[in-house]
Amino acid sequence: MTHAPAASFRLIMATAVTALVVWVGVVCTGMARPRTAAAQPPGGVPAISGGAAAGATGIPDRGPGVSDEVVATFRDRNGGVFEGWGKPRAVVVITGELDGYIEPCGCTGKENQKGGLSRRRNLLKAIEGAGWPLVSIDLGGQVKRFGRQSEVKFQSIADGLRTMGYAAVGFGPGDLRLPAEELVAAVAPVGDQPTPFVSANVGLLGLDANITPRFRIIEAGGVRLGIASVLGDAEAAQVRNDAIEVAGAERALQSVAAELRQAGCSHQVLLAWATPEESRALAAKFPQFDVVVTAGGADEPPAELPRLSGGARLVELGHKGMFAVAVGLFADPARPVQSQRVPLDARWGEAEDMIRLLGTYQGQLESLGLEGLGLAHARHPSGRRFAGSAACAECHAHAYEVWKDTPHATALATLEEQKPRRDGDPECLSCHVVGWVPQRFEPFEGGFAGMKATPHLAHQGCENCHGPAAAHTAVERGDVRASVQERDRLRAELAMSLATPEGKQQAVNNCLQCHDLDNSPQFDFDTYWPQVEHPTPESEKQASAGN
Amino acid sequence: MAMRMPAAGMVAAIAAVVGAAVGGGIAALEAAVRPWRAGDFAVNAIDAVGPRPVCEVPDTLFAFGTVAVGGKGSHEFVIRNTGDAPLELTKGATSCSCTVSDFEESEGGSSNAKVIAPGGSTVLKVQWRGKGEGGAFRQQATVLTNDPRRPRVAFVVEGTVVPSVAAEPPSLAFPRLSAGSGERATVKLFTFGDEPPRVESVGIESAESKAGRCITLTSAPLDAAEVAGRQGATGGVAINVELLPGLPIGPLRQTIRVVLRTPEEVTIDLPLEGSVLGDLAVTGRAWDSTNQAVLLGAVSGRVGVQEELFITAKGPHRAEVKPVVREVVPESLQITVGEARPVGNGAVIRIPIMLTIPPGSPPANHICSPQAPAGRIVLETGHPDSPTFTIPLCVAIGQ
Repeated sequence: MTHAPAASFRLIMATAVTALVVWVGVVCTGMARPRTAAAQPPGGVPAISGGAAAGATGIPDRGPGVSDEVVATFRDRNGGVFEGWGKPRAVVVITGELDGYIEPCGCTGKENQKGGLSRRRNLLKAIEGAGWPLVSIDLGGQVKRFGRQSEVKFQSIADGLRTMGYAAVGFGPGDLRLPAEELVAAVAPVGDQPTPFVSANVGLLGLDANITPRFRIIEAGGVRLGIASVLGDAEAAQVRNDAIEVAGAERALQSVAAELRQAGCSHQVLLAWATPEESRALAAKFPQFDVVVTAGGADEPPAELPRLSGGARLVELGHKGMFAVAVGLFADPARPVQSQRVPLDARWGEAEDMIRLLGTYQGQLESLGLEGLGLAHARHPSGRRFAGSAACAECHAHAYEVWKDTPHATALATLEEQKPRRDGDPECLSCHVVGWVPQRFEPFEGGFAGMKATPHLAHQGCENCHGPAAAHTAVERGDVRASVQERDRLRAELAMSLATPEGKQQAVNNCLQCHDLDNSPQFDFDTYWPQVEHPTPESEKQASAGN
Repeated sequence: MAMRMPAAGMVAAIAAVVGAAVGGGIAALEAAVRPWRAGDFAVNAIDAVGPRPVCEVPDTLFAFGTVAVGGKGSHEFVIRNTGDAPLELTKGATSCSCTVSDFEESEGGSSNAKVIAPGGSTVLKVQWRGKGEGGAFRQQATVLTNDPRRPRVAFVVEGTVVPSVAAEPPSLAFPRLSAGSGERATVKLFTFGDEPPRVESVGIESAESKAGRCITLTSAPLDAAEVAGRQGATGGVAINVELLPGLPIGPLRQTIRVVLRTPEEVTIDLPLEGSVLGDLAVTGRAWDSTNQAVLLGAVSGRVGVQEELFITAKGPHRAEVKPVVREVVPESLQITVGEARPVGNGAVIRIPIMLTIPPGSPPANHICSPQAPAGRIVLETGHPDSPTFTIPLCVAIGQ
């Protein structure tokens, strides 16, 4: 009785060992056949241990815990990643033009949007997990807007880039519109970790202050990579910041290029925040750069990297950080470089440390408050104040009942339910409460100022389309005496009609303030309107006429 | 066990030889039958046997040149089935600015899907709209197929979206305005129509506010050379902005509204933003702008610490700023004021300040809590409006 199980165990083990060794033989022999990296089929890529976020092929194609189904869905939608790649000597992942989109572009169905630091983090972790030597670099352009929120956001992004182990980060013109004092504090080294920010021609507090290095040399997988970053002359002319000194791009690159040549780099990358035309010109003047990354391209990067006449590959990144571009450096002389446009979609999942970082950022916004963020309270063009949707319900019961069952009526709750919650973020609040300027992310005078002060202005309410109604409701309630003409004038101010082309266009334009390309790309007024339509019933019209 | 190990090793060796032989055979067979494609991953074994569809597309990229903002364009891409089995097509994802027309319904198909018989072809009509602020445009529409060699085809349209008016720069930001001195800036508005633009009005949205009264605006036509500097532009106007001394301290958020006739009436809103601050500011890696304090944190008194800060000075009195240390808390803190240097064009002066807590410093707690209030560095500046300048400091010096 005791021997039988032992014998069975030995038999199973012997069979398993045999099968394993046969498999190893098959795989190893397959690997030994003459091949180039390009000719390697996806299934033939050797399994890589430690690739926690890699798919069954060993290719870094997903974030941790992401299912095959999700990967297949987004592969069909946005294309596969690293298919046909063998293990590179090193891979350079290039990002940039985040434009402030610290999270996936837009808020309508985050799973359908691309971008965000969290997914980027998981891409980089997946590459590292696959055992591919990694160098991460960023063109710059972390923020596009101006003001305290952008300053806090820039600091958060800089912290995130450090956490992700970025080797080099350039500056975009949006970054350089922030106060130099803020930039210095954000980009400075932390502890023994050098700053990843680098520029050949941008000097915070002056070029001679040496706050950031002029270039960087990184070694990974036996590859010695020289990285320079430059702000193009046309873009530099747009920067109005007395505490930042910007030298001419070409002149600054001359000395940096000479130093990189002497440093014995096997590959050199130029991060050029410049127009594609200026980047091409710089590439022609400095042919030592194998890869030139440019700004000013289209919304999406091309699938293949174009070769410039001097041989360099030109990299566009698209806008809003929706894509990363990976450049693989291979030992195969027949195909030394491969590239991959990586859509940062839901296949990359969420990274805990970046979610924490976003939480800290949201917490900072919350603690600064609207006043601390320096938000001006613009006067509404009508000069009037807001009453809140509940006040409208006193007479417009039908419209209120319709509204109550639409997503507009719980718009603020959707921000509170997010993790981290977003109800302190003006860039989100502006379309989720009453009385804000949607595209300027600031409140009108008397607009929503927090749940404690103005709970009646929560959610996307009546007055965002019809206009501020405090004067109208005061007259209708009898709180304020007004002539019949004045009462009717106030009523007419708030009335909307789709009966005329002008009236409909006004309504459409109003909707587009929030249902914009980022947040509601599929918005079509004629499709959406029936879902919120609320014509005034005859009974209400008669009651109104009788007063 | 001693007897079994050699046996196991022999099994393994034999297995390895068998595996190598089988693997080598498979590899040789694969090498013989697989048409490796340079630059792409290889075809699957499924290709080798039986009838199969073959999706062929003569072009997957269409460069349309230019389109106006709001303008529409379309292009028909041809898809052929050169295989010997039906080719199934399904509409995939499209970019935000692209749509794909429905497939004509065919047998077994729908508006989202189509089956092409062997030898047949169809067209895929991709439509796009020039959205946004103009500039380079690249969008794509994808079609999924049952051709195992080409399961996904991306059709790309690219070109340039031309706005009716383009602002350069699109907004004005003044990162650090001095209340005591003025600033000037120019925004160029380029137009792309047949007629030169005419300025109907230029104004500040909140002209009656205190900040609004400190902003003056003028306009002038751009000369031919300036217009030529913008690709595709046919005319232009310069909006000259002057910020007068006297702006209120705090954030500046205004909107310049320009109405042009091109000949259509176009309204352009240009954000004008900035921060009006005092003439002196502090920065450095230990500077926490949210809390407006230097954060040194916990420091070992035995080891000490050194940290560099910068004071920046701007405004008409910047050259007079020559900091002298008047008081420090904790007392062990040593301050060295470096040489003042102009930044760039000299509108800002940079003064390095080295903070040193030397080794052997006695314990002190100024960590910025109710129990341990902040330490401080008090400087005499030489600036007539800010003769003293206090820098709060959060530090706890341990043993």
